[in-house]
Amino acid sequence: MILKKTKKYYPSRQRLTLPTKPGVSGKPVVLSPKSKISDYCEKGTSDNLTVVFKDLGPQVLYSTLFFFEYLGPLVLYPLFYYLPLYKYFGYDDTNRTIHPVQTYAMYYWCLHYSKRILETFFVHRFSHATSPLSNVFRNCLYYWTFGAYIAYYVNHPLYTPVSETQWKIGFAFGLLCQVSNLYCHIILRNLRSPSGNGGYQIPKGFLFNIVTCANYTTEIYQWLGFNIATQTVAGYVFLVVATAIMTNWAMGKHRRLRKLFDGKEGRPKYPRRWVILPPFF
Amino acid sequence: MASFFSTVKRIYLAIYNWAVFTGWIQVLIFAIKALNESGPAAVYDAVEKPLQLAQTAAILEIIHGLIGLVRSPVSATLPQIGSRLFVTWGILHSFPETRTHILVSSLVISWSLTEIIRYSFFGMKEALGFTPSWLLWLRYSTFLLLYPTGITSEVGLIYIALPFIKASDNFCFRMPNKWNFSFDYYFASLAVLGIYVPGSPHMYTYMLGQRKKALSKLKAA
Repeated sequence: MILKKTKKYYPSRQRLTLPTKPGVSGKPVVLSPKSKISDYCEKGTSDNLTVVFKDLGPQVLYSTLFFFEYLGPLVLYPLFYYLPLYKYFGYDDTNRTIHPVQTYAMYYWCLHYSKRILETFFVHRFSHATSPLSNVFRNCLYYWTFGAYIAYYVNHPLYTPVSETQWKIGFAFGLLCQVSNLYCHIILRNLRSPSGNGGYQIPKGFLFNIVTCANYTTEIYQWLGFNIATQTVAGYVFLVVATAIMTNWAMGKHRRLRKLFDGKEGRPKYPRRWVILPPFF
Repeated sequence: MASFFSTVKRIYLAIYNWAVFTGWIQVLIFAIKALNESGPAAVYDAVEKPLQLAQTAAILEIIHGLIGLVRSPVSATLPQIGSRLFVTWGILHSFPETRTHILVSSLVISWSLTEIIRYSFFGMKEALGFTPSWLLWLRYSTFLLLYPTGITSEVGLIYIALPFIKASDNFCFRMPNKWNFSFDYYFASLAVLGIYVPGSPHMYTYMLGQRKKALSKLKAA
């Protein structure tokens, strides 16, 4: 309806809330597109309702956002592997030997980001359809910069590989975690019905029985496997930052689920579980 | 108990602000004296000690913000102090070839004027509980000129230092090594210059917002 008045504010850009009562703290109540306006009117009062409109800014689909985030690392990394770029950094590129671990690292990395892109289009079900456009720039900066930073070191002509045993273990562990991660994503997808109900459910099955955010756990350990195999400070820095970000998300999710499933009014009680990283939280 | 802590906090912050204030007064006085007597090339040597002391003391301000002693967001103080420390220690101290440049004079004067106003502003607030409106006005208006002059001096000095940084191996850590890590001070300095591009407008608009808030409060009072 608002769209009729102003073409600029298409529905995914709108956020309609009830005005916050003065003196009442906490987040304002967001109107759900699935409910009717009359659901929000107080019983017995007139049919008029005051609504607060907020412009969320230009939006993109989540799948668009993820696609561009992941495309960068997928394309940038092989550039460092295949092209003689290091001469621009002042290194002699002509007689470099490529260690087997560097080749496998490239395959592993590209497999990982291809998997992420495929999951974006075929596996994930998003609770919000869109994300602000500014997130595209911020997230791409993060992924693309770290991607290039790691690719630079692993493919460096002066790269020092670890022992064969170590990188074999690293990659094997990483692959195992990637497969587990995919399975976690499939479980999460099946928690949401295709009509986009988007409600929260208690995750069950596989690692979710012991960890709330098993998908993040497997992702973190997958990167650990990559780093055990390739051993660069750049890779470990990325691991630490990514872990911090995912831990932050996981705590929020865990908190939300515990609040929602508090065992009252017939709702099941959320079981005691690790939040994200056994044995740490 | 709570009011005991808040009194201790006030006394500590008052002492801190006035102490650093005196440091920056020294910097300004020595700088002007050197300019008068010998010219721009002598400014650095005249101000070196109080400058290093006063500027490095600012690290405490990050801690103050982190532990909640003051309200300033770390996101605003960290880039400001970071760039100051980088120029003071990473450029001027480490690459003496830059010390005689005229930008050192503009740098030192911009910094000292800004800091004298800022520290006396906070010093008065903590010690006396209020600040005179003219000082408030100065604090939220002089940046309009001093930020551009200060930032230009910082960027200019980093830029001038670049060839010296490239030629020296100072602060560099090279490959090959077991951890496949390297640090190249030249590239790091280029990265710092790059950060100024989004960083400067961010800081400037932040201060413009603060100015609006502060001066509108003044009008309402």
